[in-house]
Formats: sequence, structure tokens, C-alpha cells
Amino acid sequence: MKKSIFMIMMAIFALSLVGQEKITGLKVIQNVYNRKSPKDQTGELIMTLINKRGEERVRKIKQFTKDFGKVEKKIMFFISPADVHNTSFMNWSYDKDDKDDDQWIYLPALKKIKRISSDSKSDYFMGSDFTYDDLGDRKPKQDNHKILREEKFHNENCYVIESIPKDEDYMYSKTITWVIKNKWIGLKKEFYDEDGDLLKTLNIKKYQKIKEYWLILNSEMHNVQKNHTTTMELKNVKVDTSIPSSKFTERMMKRGL
Amino acid sequence: MKKIIVTVTMIVFGLSLFAEIDFNGFVRNYTGILLNDNHDYSILQNTFDLNISQNSGKIAFKANPYLNQYSDDDLTLGLREAYMDMYFEKMDLRIGKQQIIWGKADGVFITDIISPKDMSEFLLPDFSEIRLGITSLKADYYLGDNTFEFVWVPNFTPTIMPDENSIWRPKMSFPVNPNWDFSKKDVEKNLENSEVFAKFSAMSSAIDFEFMGAYMWDDDPAMDIKPTIDPTTHQISSLIVTPQHHRLSVTGGSFSTTVGDFVIRGEGAYYFGKYFSTDNLTVNDGLLEKDYLHYLLGIDTSLWDIKLSSQFVQQAILNYDDSIKNDEFDNTVTFLASKTFLRETLRTELFAYIGLNDEDALIRPKVIYDFSDGFDIIFGVNIFTGNKGKFGQYDNNDMIFSKIKYSF
Repeated sequence: MKKSIFMIMMAIFALSLVGQEKITGLKVIQNVYNRKSPKDQTGELIMTLINKRGEERVRKIKQFTKDFGKVEKKIMFFISPADVHNTSFMNWSYDKDDKDDDQWIYLPALKKIKRISSDSKSDYFMGSDFTYDDLGDRKPKQDNHKILREEKFHNENCYVIESIPKDEDYMYSKTITWVIKNKWIGLKKEFYDEDGDLLKTLNIKKYQKIKEYWLILNSEMHNVQKNHTTTMELKNVKVDTSIPSSKFTERMMKRGL
Repeated sequence: MKKIIVTVTMIVFGLSLFAEIDFNGFVRNYTGILLNDNHDYSILQNTFDLNISQNSGKIAFKANPYLNQYSDDDLTLGLREAYMDMYFEKMDLRIGKQQIIWGKADGVFITDIISPKDMSEFLLPDFSEIRLGITSLKADYYLGDNTFEFVWVPNFTPTIMPDENSIWRPKMSFPVNPNWDFSKKDVEKNLENSEVFAKFSAMSSAIDFEFMGAYMWDDDPAMDIKPTIDPTTHQISSLIVTPQHHRLSVTGGSFSTTVGDFVIRGEGAYYFGKYFSTDNLTVNDGLLEKDYLHYLLGIDTSLWDIKLSSQFVQQAILNYDDSIKNDEFDNTVTFLASKTFLRETLRTELFAYIGLNDEDALIRPKVIYDFSDGFDIIFGVNIFTGNKGKFGQYDNNDMIFSKIKYSF
């Protein structure tokens, strides 16, 4: 009997060790990457570019996203400014680590869809402070992650994670992310340039639970070196509305909204 | 003219009161100055271009009227497009005047042969203004990421050539001053003379491609020449030149794919017989019909944030005859480099067509400044080099230009 009790206690102890498995930087970032997301999502994206003199330029986009399992497809329709009205952009992003995104752009003046190389991920999106890579889901395995500390930030308990890219030629030498425990949302992120100096800071201004998903609705990227800022607001968000797969095609790129 | 404009304005205003109609377009000033001794204006043009459209889910329409006013106060009203759309579950129908663009080439027309061209100012205007809208019926049937497209063009529309006195009139050489006979320049408007085009296109992660076929008219007329020989000198004493359009059967295709950092593009069209002018005016009315191949290979990439693109284009006349005026192989290279600055508000661009046969070129550097959202200021230069060939013939037409454009 004593032997049985001892065995049970040992088993419970072993299980408790598993339960308290020490969380790593990689695990935190994986939790952010794998945070439950909608099967599909629709929304209006309003980007405001603010220069150092405080002058604003506004870009409006309507976007649709759908997860097809091994591939996530996104289509964007540019509403303003007027000279890009009816331009559309489509991105197919793959789960496979070694497969690059496929991208196409439709230019209404040329009435033509052009395949473009997705390699220029360091390019800034529509003149904003967000690069294409900042807007996409960077795969956790592309960086080495380390928990620097745990601290309270904006009344949320956060892990502070340092991520150093494995590719030395990547546009950032490192990033530091404040990740809210249990919600797995990056609340703030600092981007450091090739010389190790702070380049940009991303602050999440508003996040909200829509259905069962935590979604970021308002963020601000500040380039501290050039002193300009981009705010990105997501409005009229709808999730899991069963967007038909035919939305993500050449036909819709040309047809527009 | 004023009456027409007032009527159009009233209709547009009336429509806007009744339905949610989308209006956008631009106002533009375009000034070009020749780099000759007199610094003549090559163009002084003000444009108002309006896109009126509505999409109600199952049906849609678009009308694109435009007004061009020139330095001599000439006002031209045109309708670039005016069409209606019907959307079905797997099929779309578009009926009316429309621009239809095929292929993967940039700045070169290979399988892009449905919409004819307005060459009044050579290849210098924006391509949306070079391509002419044509009255047609376009049907698209969709199967996943594959599309079957069929186009029926009831009336043939030829290329618009520059006026006789225009600096862009292509040079044509004849042994004696010709007499022109324009009696056959038009193609009779009837069902038998309509044009048909068909295309299958597919979009996939690995590759995008198109296959096409066309039974059409050559947009550019062949010059049928009837010479009169002086019996005493045995020399040509007079010529009657009769421009005439001929039927063409064309098949072709194009592709575009990504290889690492590069986008590779290709496009080709095979003509089952096309008429070419010859130097031997006494045989076959100065014309020979030959099969003809027009193809292109292109590459796009990005280096140090500079977008680069280059294309090699070849026109090959098969079963060549030495009397044909065109070269057996005509090779052209295009080159594009562009870079943006100041958060994409300033863009510099260099585009060039380089003719390898005649060592001529059209070089087009320009700077585009986005003064405010939708307000662009463009300064550029068009430099023609060489003294013969497609571009060299315009060697005296080097020009600087500005375009100031407000989009709304």
C-alpha cells in the first residue's frame, strides 16, 4: 500500500514538473504566432502618415483575409488617395518555412495584373513606416528568442522578448517585444537597425476580443531616427463570415470593390 | 461642341442625384517643348478625364469621357470607354466600348493586339491613352484560378496615325512622290468583317500563363503599290499607293513566374501570314506575305531598393526574302530603373527602348513628385538617338516635358 501511495505521489510530482515547464522566448513568440485567429476577416484599414512637421497623408484600404490551411490569402483594394483608387494587391502566404509569398498587383491604368517578387520585404508599404515584413507574420524559427525579463507594461503582465534574426543580412539587427501573458499579444515592439540603434517603436493603441479572437485594431509605428509616424486603424472588422474562396482571384482583383 | 458638353454635364449631374455613382478622374496640364533652336512646343494640352461608374453587385457600368483642349483652343471630346457588366456565378459579360489588355510585356504590344493604338504622339502618352477603346462583347468564364475569355469585335478599328504635318508622322520613302488612293483604307462594316479573340489564362503559385488565338485585321495597313514605268527610261515615273488592311490569324501566349529574387516573363505571338513592304515595287504590288514571329523575354528584380526591369524583344520574318524592307530579325531591348524617396513622395525613373539593329533609342528619364495626395508634378525628357529606325527617325524631336496632374 505504502509503495502504491509513493508511486502515485511520484507520478503527481512528475506531472507537476511538466505543467510548470519553464517557458522560453521561442515558446512565447510561438504562442503569439499561433494565437487563435479567425478563419476569415474583413476590414477597412486606415493608414495615416505623419511627417516631422505634423502634416498628414491618409491611405484607405479595404482588405479581405482567409486561411485555407496551408495557405493564407489576402486581397487589398486601395480606396484612396485618388491616384491609386481601384488598385488591388493580392498575397498568398504559405505555412512552409522555405516557401516565399506569391504576390500580384493590379494597376487599373494599365488594366493588367503583374506578378511581383515578394523578396522586397524590407520595402515600406505605401510610404508608411511599416515594411511588408512588419505587416506579415514573421515565422518564429527565423529568429533566436530570449526572455529578457518579465514586467508590467500598461497594467498588463508582460514577457519582454529579445529576437535576433538568424539571417545576419536582415533589415533589423534585433527586435524587443512586450508580450501580454495569457493573451499572447505583442503590446509594444522595438526595432533596432543594423548598427544596433533604435530605429522604430510599434505601440498597440487598441486591441479587442471579437468573437473568440484577440485582434489589434489600432497601432502606431514611430520612426525615432526620422521622427515620422504611421498610425494604422482597422475599422468595421468582421470575422468568420465565410468569405468565398473566389474572392481571392484574378477576377476580383480586376473587378474591384 | 459646347452644347454637347453642357448636355453631358447635365446627364452626369442628373444621374448623380438618383444613385450612388462613383466619380473619379483627373485634370492635367501637359506641356512639351522641343529641344530645337526655336524651342517649339510639341504639345500644350489640358485634359479633363472623368470616370463614372457604379457597381450594384450583379451589374455595373463605367463611362470614361474626356476633354482635351490644345493650345489653339481646339477642344476634343472623346469617350475612352463606355460599357456595362453583367456578373453571373461563374461568368462575366462586358458589353460596350472597352480597352482590353492581354499579355505580360511592359511597353511592348505582342499578344496585346485587341485594342488598337493611337499613335498621334508616338509611344509617349500614358498607355491608358495610347490604347483605344473598341466596341466589343467580352465573355469570361471562370474555373477556380483559370479563365476562358472570348472577345467579339463587330467593327474593325485601325491604328490612329499622326496627322500628315505632325512631327510624329513615320517616315516613308518612295522612289517618286506617290499618289495616294484611300479607297480601300476602310474595312466594310459587316458581320463577316468582325474580329474574334480567345484566351485561356491560369494563375497559380508556380506560374501565371496565357494562351491566345485571334482572327483579326492588321491594325496597320499594308501599302499596296502600283508603279507606272516610263517606256523610254524604264524608270518608275509615278506611283499609286493604296493602304489596305489584311486579315491576320495569330496564336500566342505569355507567362510570368518568380525565381528567387527575380520575376521572369515571356510572351510570343505567331502570325500565319502578314504583309511586308518590299523594295521590288514591280512584283506583287510591292508586298510579300510571310509568317512572322514576335516575342519577348523579360526579367524584373530589385537591387539596393532600385526596381529594375529589362526585356529583349525580337521580331522575326520567316522564310525571309531579301527584297523585304524590314530586317529579317529586328531586335529591341527595353530597360527600366526606378527608385522612390521621401516616403514614396518622390520617384525617379529611367525608361529606354534601345533598337539594336539601327543603333537607335528612346531614352525617357523623369522625376515624379507627389506634392500632395493625388497631386503629381512630373518633369521628364524624351531623347531620341540615332538617325534611322523606329526611334532614330525622330532624332529631331528631343523634348522636355512637364505634367501636372490632380486626381480626384
